[in-house]
Amino acid sequence: MNAHASSLTARPGIAASYGRSLLGSIGFLPALLIAVVIGMSAVDPQFYGPINIINILRNTALLTIVACGQALVIIGGGFDLSVGAVVALASVVTAKTMGLIAASFPGNDALVITGGLAAGLGSGAAVGLINGLCVARLKVSGFVVTLGTMSATAGVALMITSGIPVYGMPQSFVRDFGRVQFFGLPTAIYVALIVLAVMVFVQRRTLFGRYVYAIGGNTDAAIVSGVGIRRHLVGTYVLSGVLAALTGILLTAQVGSGQASFGGDRMMLQSIAAAVIGGVSLRGGVGRVEIVAISALFLTILGNALNLLHIDSRLQPVFLGVIMVAAVALDELGRRRKQRV
Amino acid sequence: MSDLDLASPAATTPSERRVALLALAWQAALPIALVVLLLGFAAVDSAVLTPGNLVNIMQQASYLALFAMAQTVVILTRGFDLALGPTVSMVSVGAALAMAVGVADGQEPGTVLLMGLAAGFALGAACGVFNGVVIAYLGVSPFVATLGSYNIAIGVATTISSGRPVQGVPDLFSWLLYGGNLFGVPAAIVITVIVGVALHLVLTRTVYGRALYIIGTNPRAATVAGLPVKRLLVATYVLCSTLAALGALMMTARTGSGEPNLGGSLSLQAIAAAVVGGTSLAGGRGGVGTAVVGALFVTILSNGMNLTRIDGYVQMVVLGAIVIAGVVLDRLRLERRG
Repeated sequence: MNAHASSLTARPGIAASYGRSLLGSIGFLPALLIAVVIGMSAVDPQFYGPINIINILRNTALLTIVACGQALVIIGGGFDLSVGAVVALASVVTAKTMGLIAASFPGNDALVITGGLAAGLGSGAAVGLINGLCVARLKVSGFVVTLGTMSATAGVALMITSGIPVYGMPQSFVRDFGRVQFFGLPTAIYVALIVLAVMVFVQRRTLFGRYVYAIGGNTDAAIVSGVGIRRHLVGTYVLSGVLAALTGILLTAQVGSGQASFGGDRMMLQSIAAAVIGGVSLRGGVGRVEIVAISALFLTILGNALNLLHIDSRLQPVFLGVIMVAAVALDELGRRRKQRV
Repeated sequence: MSDLDLASPAATTPSERRVALLALAWQAALPIALVVLLLGFAAVDSAVLTPGNLVNIMQQASYLALFAMAQTVVILTRGFDLALGPTVSMVSVGAALAMAVGVADGQEPGTVLLMGLAAGFALGAACGVFNGVVIAYLGVSPFVATLGSYNIAIGVATTISSGRPVQGVPDLFSWLLYGGNLFGVPAAIVITVIVGVALHLVLTRTVYGRALYIIGTNPRAATVAGLPVKRLLVATYVLCSTLAALGALMMTARTGSGEPNLGGSLSLQAIAAAVVGGTSLAGGRGGVGTAVVGALFVTILSNGMNLTRIDGYVQMVVLGAIVIAGVVLDRLRLERRG
């Protein structure tokens, strides 16, 4: 399926084709983003107010972290529908664990927080491991496996809490981590930047990252080249689970309670939308997380702009849907035109 | 489909016959599991096997079966329809609004009924045309295309209804699609059986139906063979959304009002039911049978768990595990067959 892309880059005129592929991979997304920002700034000064900007950046950060994991799974040729449920599970597990440890070791905040973070991230890794093992070992489609684990994970999160928010986390976790600001920006943004930097490094400079591209691009070729498919596929799902869990923990720290209603279908669909609009091909093998981050920013700003423009919240999904389809369709048409050249 | 394998004259050597028998055993595994499941629940609570509850299960399953059939036709072509749930909501609200307008206009009951049906099916078909054109002609993947229409349909459904249930569904409509019965069989079951038989004939006996299997098995071969793949795909998404619209109208008749979130998580439920029944997301494998068996299985499971008072959250976990087990079994079945 990616024969088109590879035959394209194999043509002479490397500089020209590099320029074209750069344009192709970034696309018109930044232009669209800048247009929305300029337009909104002209229409409503509230848009560039510091509170709104921090709000946008925080939401972008949360979406970016989930979308990075999602993008990696999709590049490997899979799908992770369970990320939204993992956000909820990690939030609940973190809060519950912190509450339990705090009850046995009152005052020992370092232990409480470490334990809570480990449990939360561990729960995400566990779900990712199940996803990965089912996909890699049993060769079942990622869509169905994660559809199953999505339901199961959401069920477990609700079982733990009975649907009631979980309190009892140490004050220092909420005050000094969740709601603190460095240089005027909330922690979530720094966490997202670190995640993004690590992911860029992983994708570009590590064998794991390169192999994921190879597996998603042409699984058979990757097998023949001696790439251990299973390990790497499991790795993508585990990483996606851990990153979703990280988002759940950040949300928990910000809100101050663990809730099974965090994440959900909305977060899952948004993460896939961010990845796809950011140029990650659902056929696998193509995509870069830094563009996914731009696309997450775009989606967040779009939602924010629709709110500020007082567009009926019921109509907003229509805009999102149309823009999403249009973005991908334009991208696809552009690719076809390039192939004809 | 395995009944074709069995019928093929090639299955004459002992080993081939054994493979065919094994395939038959796998095919029968789920229906047998269904019966075991029913008996198991009946052992815990005898209310499970009462005629009243059995009819109840059938009636509940008939909606899910319709939606699973809708998903199956597009899954056969390697697609799926994430927008099915929102389409259901939109059709429900649209049909109810059309009928409310008809009633307010003082139209005849028959005319009002027709207006409702026409509005519902038109909205459904419109969704299908959108999905099909975006997927077939613009080359957008089914996931993104139907995720787009998912958002659009939710927006339309909540906007035209202002987010509130639309009252005023006439009695005739409710009677025709829900309250009525044929020889004591509730309308929902009758409709689903008729549609199921018709769809089965279309999928197995018509050129169009066979073409869907070819597209799903090998899209390139389908193109090379001269099939109008794009037009067929559009037709298939229209078929899917129209079936969803029928289910939506039936559910609207049941609730007696147009509900802007009637569809809820139906998209994924219907995909899960189809897949549990043995429809392959890789395309080309499945049919009305797999959709119906899957829908029955999921419905009996949740009905039984309800009657035996298993916690709703535990039910989610069980259903998730069943979905995974279903595809794993399907995978093993494929590998056995070589």
